[in-house]
Amino acid sequence: MAKPNDLVQGTFDLLLLKTLSLEPKHGWAIAKRIQQISREVLQVQQGSLYPALHRLEQKALIKAKWKETGRQAKFYSLTAAGRAELEKEAEIGVVCRRRIIWS
Amino acid sequence: MLWVRRFWLKLQGLFRRNRNVNRLDDEIQFHLEQQIAENCAAGMSPHEARYAARRAFGNPTYLKEETRDTWGWVWLEQIVQDLRYGARALSKNPSFTVVAVLAVALGVGVNTGIFSVLNGVALKLLPVPRANQIVSVDQIFHGNFPRIEHGEPEMFSYSEYKNYRANNQVFSGLLAYAPFLGDVPLGAENPKPVMGEETSCNFFEVLGERPALGRTFVEADCRAEGVSPVVVLSDELWRTQFGADPRIVGKSISLNRAKFVVIGVAGQGFRGLDAWPVEFWAPVTMEKALEGEDLLSKDNASWLGLLGRMRPGVSLEEVRADLGVIAGRIDQLYPGRTTTLAIHRATFMGRSEERTVVFGIGAVILAAVGLVLLIACANVANLLLARASARQKEIAIRLSIGGSRWRIVRQLLTESLLIAFLGGALGSLIAFWSVDGIARYLLAHLPHGFPPLLWDVSPDLHVWGYSLALMVLTGIVFGLAPALHATRQDLSTAVKGETAGLPGKARGRRLRSALVAVQVAVCMVLLIAAGLLMRSLYSAQTVDPGFEMKGIIQARYELPGYNVAAGQTFQRELVARAQALPGVDEVEQARVMPLGNQNMHTVMTPQGEKRYKSFEFNIVSPGFFGMLGMPIVRGRTFTQAEVQSDAPVLVITESTARRLWPDQDAIGKSLREVNALSQDLGPRVYQVVGVVKDAQVSHLGQSDGPFFYMPAGPEELAAMQLLVHSKASDVTTINGIREAVRILDAGLVVDVTELSGNLELWRTPSRIVAALSGVLGALALLLASIGVHGVVSYGVSQRTREIGIRMTLGANGGDVMILALRQALRPVVIGASVGIIACAAVSQVLSTVLYGIGSHDPIAFIGVPLFLLGVAFLSSYLPARRASRFDPMVTLRYE
Repeated sequence: MAKPNDLVQGTFDLLLLKTLSLEPKHGWAIAKRIQQISREVLQVQQGSLYPALHRLEQKALIKAKWKETGRQAKFYSLTAAGRAELEKEAEIGVVCRRRIIWS
Repeated sequence: MLWVRRFWLKLQGLFRRNRNVNRLDDEIQFHLEQQIAENCAAGMSPHEARYAARRAFGNPTYLKEETRDTWGWVWLEQIVQDLRYGARALSKNPSFTVVAVLAVALGVGVNTGIFSVLNGVALKLLPVPRANQIVSVDQIFHGNFPRIEHGEPEMFSYSEYKNYRANNQVFSGLLAYAPFLGDVPLGAENPKPVMGEETSCNFFEVLGERPALGRTFVEADCRAEGVSPVVVLSDELWRTQFGADPRIVGKSISLNRAKFVVIGVAGQGFRGLDAWPVEFWAPVTMEKALEGEDLLSKDNASWLGLLGRMRPGVSLEEVRADLGVIAGRIDQLYPGRTTTLAIHRATFMGRSEERTVVFGIGAVILAAVGLVLLIACANVANLLLARASARQKEIAIRLSIGGSRWRIVRQLLTESLLIAFLGGALGSLIAFWSVDGIARYLLAHLPHGFPPLLWDVSPDLHVWGYSLALMVLTGIVFGLAPALHATRQDLSTAVKGETAGLPGKARGRRLRSALVAVQVAVCMVLLIAAGLLMRSLYSAQTVDPGFEMKGIIQARYELPGYNVAAGQTFQRELVARAQALPGVDEVEQARVMPLGNQNMHTVMTPQGEKRYKSFEFNIVSPGFFGMLGMPIVRGRTFTQAEVQSDAPVLVITESTARRLWPDQDAIGKSLREVNALSQDLGPRVYQVVGVVKDAQVSHLGQSDGPFFYMPAGPEELAAMQLLVHSKASDVTTINGIREAVRILDAGLVVDVTELSGNLELWRTPSRIVAALSGVLGALALLLASIGVHGVVSYGVSQRTREIGIRMTLGANGGDVMILALRQALRPVVIGASVGIIACAAVSQVLSTVLYGIGSHDPIAFIGVPLFLLGVAFLSSYLPARRASRFDPMVTLRYE
């Protein structure tokens, strides 16, 4: 089980932001979603989410709220800044993808 | 705005740590439970589900730590943690902490003290508003040129000052002042000698000093010579001499027998720009009335110092360029001369010549105390090494479970910095108190003839900054090596606890020995330098200046307002009265006193030759040489007839004769005078009638410069001073002379003292240097001895186990002791040898300052290393003896 290194860190953060773009989720739900999206290809320790999530929270790109859903759980959602960051990176991603298709 | 949010979040992370830790635990707990639930739903047993969930998750402890690291500022928390840990470690080991702190306090304290003194002398800006805008201007001449030097050679004349003032573009104001106008008689009857300054009329304005009473000068006061006899008093003088009279403004006072009107009193605390407190200021145009000679009209005389306030936005470079142009223009009037200007920010003791001297001496002293600090650092480093070896196990364990070496080094360094700050703060505080006390003591005990000094050694920003920088540097210097050493190790042996006893593997022994060697070497250098200085100064104390001083009283005075005839009459009558005093057997006259710090120079040319030569000279009465015990080795002194007829005769010194006419008889040769300004030959030709033995009359330690004596012509008679030899007690004679002067003219200021006082004055700087080097040397010795003792005895005790083994194998007590001693003394011997070599180099530098002691004085070079070896020997002897007496079984089990 590999821990994403620094080079991949940025991409991983982006991934987290993307999973939160639709609706707020708690940590486990994010882990499950990532597993789905990457079709089990991206092998990441589930726990390594948490340092990344907290880092993003410290950078004010996501915010957190404790909600009752039978049990107390911490739900993360995007902030305005986080959404802006996502759009900025998404644009670049679009450009890259286009290039790749045509070359 | 984002950064505000982030900052706020970080702050919260710092202060709400506990809550966040618990929340994180809850969060991860939730995650695991969800995963377990999913696994169960997929059909695993509860046990399998839990196991699979944990595996999928990863190491929770590690991940929790990682997550926690994202909160707050990690580095800040780590520093706080280090500090707390360090403080606790230090308080657990009080004896170690106290010794280390004291050693640092000694080293840093001495350095800060010396620096604050130097700062007060050479670095502090003037005590006026916006002092960083004020620059001092000095001129340095090159080439062949005539010049009248009334004050320092780098000063300006009045016309030069006016030129610079009118033509510069860079100053908002340029002032001139003539410093150190001393012993001006204040008052008509029983005058009191006071110190004053002649200044340009914009003096107070440029400096930004407002008067406390009345007004200061206006330009009209300086419009012409002598038109405005006004004066501004200092606050101190106003209080002590005039009883703080509120109606002083407008009153008349007598200065140098001339009437001056008081127009104002300066603000409290303003005492002028130099180290000597000024008591009154007068316009520069009153110079003649105050000094008796006319310098205002002399275009080529150096007597005024210049200070300018730069316009805002002007740089020093622009000032140099602008004034350089003016200097070049003035140079055109004096072919053969080029002038460069020295322009610096004005400091309290600001003349450029003084500045070079002070910086030079200051650098040497700072180097010396820096060495003392180095010894202290070596001491503390050794202590740290010894202590680190006791914590070896702990550090080894931390390293082996994956602790970062850098982290541990940082923690050890924090401890060192803590010691450095504690010691440094303690030392600096003590230094400030004691420097103040010492300065006061010195000023109160200055020898007669020294003017009272103003000396502000209070700490300012420079000093605090220096102190802080020293503390940080010290902490790193003595902390880094032991920290690095303690964390670089052979882990297995350390963990197993085999810390001592095996030969060749004693922990850190090489490093400790190296430190001892360094300490010994540095201490040697300091001690030998101090020893050499003190020995040479001792011999300077006992040096014979070449003339008699015992029983001779000198009387120095001026006769303001006397014309030639009145002056002659006064002198005649004074001599007669002095001769009539009880016990007096000889009365002579001289224009300047031997070693009296007044020197007269002129230029002459040997008859028939082309070259000009600069001479120092004195005007004396015929019996001068006899009274002072200076033997005439050829020819004779002046006759009375020659004196009365103002004959052109000279007596020259032996070395002058040797220089001008080697291998010839100087008697009968002649010297022709040269006009100082025009450089033409003058009319008078002087004949040499006698040759006198050399004596140190102008500088202590120097007696072979070109020097001649001439008799007093009728005009010079009025300026002569008195030398009286008496068999009665000095006090009686002094009082008698004072009384005699008072009877003749009660309005004169006369300075009557023993002639030997002049020598004392010359010796004072040497005494201070000797005292300083003695103290520093003693400090160095103390620190080095403590260091050597500590390390050597520790080293021996570390090898107790080895000693036990050897004794078991058959060595007797004596062998063991010799082994221990040899091992212990080796670094000391190495250090001493290095020290001697280093010292040979240092003493070359010192040889310029040494009177008559060879720079390889055996006593210093042998005595000091022997002393240190003795200390080392004693330090190792006792523990070694104790170890050799132990029961081997006991030492073997010793751990």
